[in-house]
Amino acid sequence: MSAWFNAHQQALARATARLRAQPLASLLSTFVIAIAIVLPLGLYVVFNNVVSATSRLNTDPNMNVFMKLAATDAEVKAVENKLRIMPNTASTAYVSRDVALAELKKRANVADLIAGLETNPLPHAFTLRLKSTEPATIAAMRAEIAALPTVETVTVDFEWARKLARFARFAERVVMLLGALLSAAVVFVVGNTIRLQMLTQKDEIIVARLIGATRRFVRRPFLYFGFLQGALAGLFALAMVVAGTAWVGGEIRALAESYGSFAVQGITADLAIAVVLGAGALGWIGAYASVGMYWRQVE
Amino acid sequence: MIVYSAATKRYPNGYEALKGVSLTIEKGQLVAVTGHSGAGKSTLLKLAAGIEFASTGSVFVNNQNVAQLKPAGIAVLRRNLGLVFQDHKLLFERNVFDNVALPLEIAGFTRTETGKRVRAALDKVGLLSREKAFPVALSGGEQQRLCIARAIVNRPAILIADEPTGNLDADYAATIMDLFKSFNQVGVTVLLSTHDQAGLARLDCRRVQLSQGSVEQGNADQGSAVA
Ligand SMILES: Nc1ncnc2c1ncn2[C@@H]1O[C@H](COP(=O)(O)OP(=O)(O)OP(=O)(O)O)[C@@H](O)[C@H]1O
Ligand SMILES: [Mg+2]
Repeated sequence: MSAWFNAHQQALARATARLRAQPLASLLSTFVIAIAIVLPLGLYVVFNNVVSATSRLNTDPNMNVFMKLAATDAEVKAVENKLRIMPNTASTAYVSRDVALAELKKRANVADLIAGLETNPLPHAFTLRLKSTEPATIAAMRAEIAALPTVETVTVDFEWARKLARFARFAERVVMLLGALLSAAVVFVVGNTIRLQMLTQKDEIIVARLIGATRRFVRRPFLYFGFLQGALAGLFALAMVVAGTAWVGGEIRALAESYGSFAVQGITADLAIAVVLGAGALGWIGAYASVGMYWRQVE
Repeated sequence: MIVYSAATKRYPNGYEALKGVSLTIEKGQLVAVTGHSGAGKSTLLKLAAGIEFASTGSVFVNNQNVAQLKPAGIAVLRRNLGLVFQDHKLLFERNVFDNVALPLEIAGFTRTETGKRVRAALDKVGLLSREKAFPVALSGGEQQRLCIARAIVNRPAILIADEPTGNLDADYAATIMDLFKSFNQVGVTVLLSTHDQAGLARLDCRRVQLSQGSVEQGNADQGSAVA
């Protein structure tokens, strides 16, 4: 147990010594890895903010029911009763044609246009809030209402939600794809660093093997090195993204204020830990692969 | 105990460096292998450490057939041997202390224990005052002694030394031979190769003479029969 602990402690010490022995080279390759991590991480943060900002703008899907212009008050009342008892209706709000026109007149840019009208062109309408956003349920409900003889059209305001969901999926895939590609890049960069290190330490590896070092013993400090370099690059990348969001964040907040309260979502503690450990794991994999290739070539 | 049983070594180029060598080195014995250059001395020693493997016949170390050991088993075998290489195999980026510490690192010793053992080993070969020096700053003889210190630092039960006095002047050669004798006196099995006549006289031990890859003469003056 204590021999095991010593072996790992010494491997770690040797790995950090190697990092420090070539500070510039280590720093440069670590920086390259950090940039490979910043791209998907930064994109993730941007997409995450876009999705959460837009989903805040949009409330639940609405259904708007427009009556025929000729509909009488009694007919309107009948439709309202029907709508109210539909199983998927959460609430109904009645907007009379007079109210709708008054609303429209408040908008400065159309006021002149409307002033020239002799009759009110707007129909009576209802805005429904729905219980279920299930597309099939909504489609059935819409068809049922549209079939009523006094109803002109039914519009459903959930296109927006659907587009948003589709965008979120798209963004997720872009981040995943980029993440996978650049993870491979991290593995290759660390692997190459380790390969060069093994070449410069070829004598030491050969002698250590000659006097009884196991492959595991030789490999261990390289694995630690790979993990440390990856994790360090992860930290660099986090710092860059945090600095980036702070810099861009001010602008976004100003922009977002017109849409109500909105906080820029940066990096959570969970995400930070995942990035550092994930990058460390990638470095570890790169080192493992590189040492494996060395064995195949040299021994 | 090291047993060679009709061991033949044919190198990949077809050259037969050992031709059916049978030889038993008992536990606690001190054996010197002699012979002309190219006789197969180094090859003989390498077979015992699993650095080369017999082409036919077999080699047993502590009753284990070396050729049948898995890579991890070879590593264990070598950790239990003290090895002095003819070409030293020192690490030039490490100082004297760290060169000697390598076997202890491999064995997983603590820093304090390593420090104690390394200094004790350096003291035995007279290099204690040079622990911070790098091998390039050492003379050929000092490098040789450094190699011996590395071989004994882990207190192995078997020492295998290929020309351990090859680069030493007569005085130091005598000191080193005395050192091997003193290890042998506390029970360490020693198998060494040499062509240092004065050293051989000083060792006063069983001699095995190789010629063209065969045992020409095996002096059994320490009691064991030689095939
Ligand atoms: N790897 C190899 N490939 C081919 N031939 C080899 C190899 N190693 C040694 N030999 C040959 O085998 C023979 C014995 O070599 P070995 O090194 O065992 O001799 P030695 O007795 O130790 O000689 P010296 O006293 O010069 O060290 C020599 O003729 C040598 O050229
Ligand atoms: Mg030799």
